[in-house]
Amino acid sequence: MKRPLGKLRFSKTVVAGASALAFLLLCVAPAGWPILAQEPHAPALTPPLAQAPAYKDVIDELGRTIRVPQPIQRIVSLAPSLTETIYALGLQDRLVGDTDYCDYPADAQKKMKVGGMINPSLEQIVSLRPDLVLVTKGPNRLETVQALADLGIPSYATNPHTVQQIVSSTERLADLLGAADAGSSVGADLDHRLADLQQKLAPYPERHVLFIVWTDPLISIGQNTFIADALRHAGAVSIVESSQDWPQTSLEEVVRLQPEFLVFAPSHSDSAQNEFDALVARPGWRGLDAVRNHRFAVISDAVNRPAPRIVSAIEDLARQLHPEAFAPHTLDENEKKSPSAVPADGFFPAKESSRADTSQWEACVCAH
Amino acid sequence: MSSSAVHFAEAPQLTGDVRLSIEQVSYAYAANPTQAPLFTLEATSFQARPSEMVAILGPNASGKSTLLKLIAGALAPLSGRVLLNGFPTHTLPPRTRGQRIAMVQQESPLLFPSRAWEFVLQGRHAYGRTLRFETADDVLIARNALAQVGAEHLSNRWMDQISGGEKQRVILARALAQQPLLLLLDEPTLHLDIGAQVDLLDTLRRLASANRYTVVVVTHDLNLAGQYADQVALFQKGKCLRVGPPAVVFQRELLEQVFQTSLTVELSSSGRPRVSVPSAK
Amino acid sequence: MRPLTLSRLLGYCAVLAAILFIVVVVALKMGAVPVSLYGLGRDLIRVAFRQTSQLSSEYRLIIFDIRLPRILLGIFVGAALSVAGTSFQALLRNPLADPYVLGVSMGAALGAIIALIIEPHVPLPPEIAALLTPIGAFIGAVLTVTAVYFLGRRQGQIDTLTLLLAGIITSSFLSAVIMLFMYTLSGGNFRGMAFWMMGDLSTPQLPIVNWMLRVGFFLGAAAIYTTAADLNLLLAGEKEAMHLGVDVPRVRLVVYIAASLLTGLAVSVSGSIGYVGLLVPHIMRLIVGSDHRLLLPTVAFGGAIAVVIADTLARVVVSPSELPVGAVTAVAGAPLFIYLLRRRIV
Repeated sequence: MKRPLGKLRFSKTVVAGASALAFLLLCVAPAGWPILAQEPHAPALTPPLAQAPAYKDVIDELGRTIRVPQPIQRIVSLAPSLTETIYALGLQDRLVGDTDYCDYPADAQKKMKVGGMINPSLEQIVSLRPDLVLVTKGPNRLETVQALADLGIPSYATNPHTVQQIVSSTERLADLLGAADAGSSVGADLDHRLADLQQKLAPYPERHVLFIVWTDPLISIGQNTFIADALRHAGAVSIVESSQDWPQTSLEEVVRLQPEFLVFAPSHSDSAQNEFDALVARPGWRGLDAVRNHRFAVISDAVNRPAPRIVSAIEDLARQLHPEAFAPHTLDENEKKSPSAVPADGFFPAKESSRADTSQWEACVCAH
Repeated sequence: MSSSAVHFAEAPQLTGDVRLSIEQVSYAYAANPTQAPLFTLEATSFQARPSEMVAILGPNASGKSTLLKLIAGALAPLSGRVLLNGFPTHTLPPRTRGQRIAMVQQESPLLFPSRAWEFVLQGRHAYGRTLRFETADDVLIARNALAQVGAEHLSNRWMDQISGGEKQRVILARALAQQPLLLLLDEPTLHLDIGAQVDLLDTLRRLASANRYTVVVVTHDLNLAGQYADQVALFQKGKCLRVGPPAVVFQRELLEQVFQTSLTVELSSSGRPRVSVPSAK
Repeated sequence: MRPLTLSRLLGYCAVLAAILFIVVVVALKMGAVPVSLYGLGRDLIRVAFRQTSQLSSEYRLIIFDIRLPRILLGIFVGAALSVAGTSFQALLRNPLADPYVLGVSMGAALGAIIALIIEPHVPLPPEIAALLTPIGAFIGAVLTVTAVYFLGRRQGQIDTLTLLLAGIITSSFLSAVIMLFMYTLSGGNFRGMAFWMMGDLSTPQLPIVNWMLRVGFFLGAAAIYTTAADLNLLLAGEKEAMHLGVDVPRVRLVVYIAASLLTGLAVSVSGSIGYVGLLVPHIMRLIVGSDHRLLLPTVAFGGAIAVVIADTLARVVVSPSELPVGAVTAVAGAPLFIYLLRRRIV
């Protein structure tokens, strides 16, 4: 048995033993230390309450049963639509954090930011000590929800696919947060406006529209999305029939289907004009009647968010697609009820215009 | 003079311990099982003893390298056996083979160059257990190996910074570090100048007798084979035409037929043949 | 002559372990939520003595349940990728080889995408559903490794060149299939998948997954280490290695399987973090040389250090948002690679 060179002598068994020990230690090192996370919803994180906190079991829109403390004082929202909903319900004081993308209303931008929707900073969320985190299926990931659950923070998930579901989702959220009154009042208002719209648009045939999400490649929305449902409420139907959420279509197909209107929902209204000019100038697009006749409709990107504000976008769209349904006297009534409606003179030329193609498109004073 | 396969009867009968015995070994390989074999080595037999140098001689593509690989155990013979001290070389486990047989051949280019001493130490690999570092003995043997080839001064140099001849010596040192029974060399003099060639073969001769190696050298250099080998096996197109001491094998007509050119053979005073090309007309 | 000795090996490992420890402490300190070193030290000691009730509540959850598991994940992923990269460079005799060259990462990505597509249609409790992605990724990796193995054989044994070609072709093919599948993913899933494919350590893994990663790493790395001396010789040439006593087919098989296992495990939990498996071996070779008995343990530490540093930067640079860690390694790795190339070290 020869000794290895070098001044130090290391017995093979000592080295093997030390390695095995290191191996075992590293394997059992925190894989998520259970001692800390399994304490019941980390009551130590919140300031000690006068009485023991109460809990309630609720079922969210994904069918998950979650246990939330009562009352819910601190909320973190992980989606802009949920942030808007909180504000619409008047509960913004309880909102302690939201995402970088939560920009409406303006006050939401002042809240503590926790990062993006796909990948929020867990640390930041934990440091805000929320009682509940709001997520929505789609932008938010299951992994985030699971990670928060492991840290003792419950998440409530919404998953609306239709406009009606948006309304009922808002009401349920209000119930959850102990503001049932606000919920039913907002819900009633939305229902009323939708019913009103329905009644006005009933005599008129639906407009066939192409809702443009992206131009390069040409992406529209699928039948099962809430956006498609919003279009229906606005007296329109998307010409793209697809069960995918974001189907890609070709200009050929669109030319074949000849939509009556092109609908855009840009995130920045000032860039809208440039985008459209650029679009119109492209070859092939002139083959569309809607382009030749300047039949564009521009609405705010509220239509992209499943929140109460979508109803304003729906109304806005309905006006642009069916101006004949909105005689001036009806307009005043509406103005009272929805202050965010588009003022007539800013956009809509006046009662003389028929549904014919002479209406000039103007840069939209987009409703916000 | 007929070119016939060598039979045992023609090969010199060796007395004493036979270390290497090649018995009716043949080989064929085909790129594709459905095609006819591309190359064949016909049944070959000869024997070699310790301290003996055997030259495998022949023009290009005569099967010499194939035979060397068969001897090394890298290929399995189609028929016959290659026995090293009675054991078929092909069935030796890799470690044992590394301790008994050393091969010196054209090197693949080095990916991550190492120093000469590291290179030579690789020869000790077959003697180590799986997870072990080199021992003092290994280092000693490696140093001796370098000394035996006269390359001790190269010990700390990088392998990609030494000349061809120097590299050849270091490669030989690695083979010596294996402390083999059998030392196989595939065209070792190919890129060396005449001085280096003589140097190498003198060293081989010296080592063969000092360390009792059996040395098998593949070459197409007639005179080196004639000068240094104890036995020569002459090949042409896969057939072994004659095996024996150089004086016996170097018959003018036989050589002319194998190498396809006019030659003259002279016997020097030491009894070794010398081959030369007749002067131009 | 200074051949490698056990004491030299342990010396290097000790130094690297110390560096890793310092990096871990700094990483624990940095993040969206500020933490003081004193508080950190105090909490660590308290936890070591199991006095959890006395911990300052605000930060302990962040440090121990978020940052520390993530750092440990980064350590094992970095170590696995580096060891795999070193092994593939030796196996394929190619300094440009990285752990993904044989298509493992594409196979894992495809498996993960398929898992994402299936997930809404399969009624599973959320804890199991969260496992679908790593399991899908791992299955994809295993299938790819098997396919490439059978494609890469000649006459029943792994042939280096054939293996490399088979891997590259499989990689391209799977990449195209992935494009097709990505198209069918819905919006949120698409972005999540794109994030994952760039390499992402931000998703805390279930304990069982962490276990498998760690145990798998030790087993795979140990298996490769038993061939360390053989790899040295393999690099000198396959024919030569065989004559020097290396059982070449066995070594190739062991290294192939073990390195693919390491890559598959790493990619299953973190997506394809690039440049680590390619560059860390080269950098460590500059420092410690080409002897794999020393190189393999040191690249494991080196890779762990590199990934923890990259992940810390990813967490901190655009705080509170995060970059995918693969983006950081790419941005840092590419210029470094060019530098090494120019200095003719690669």
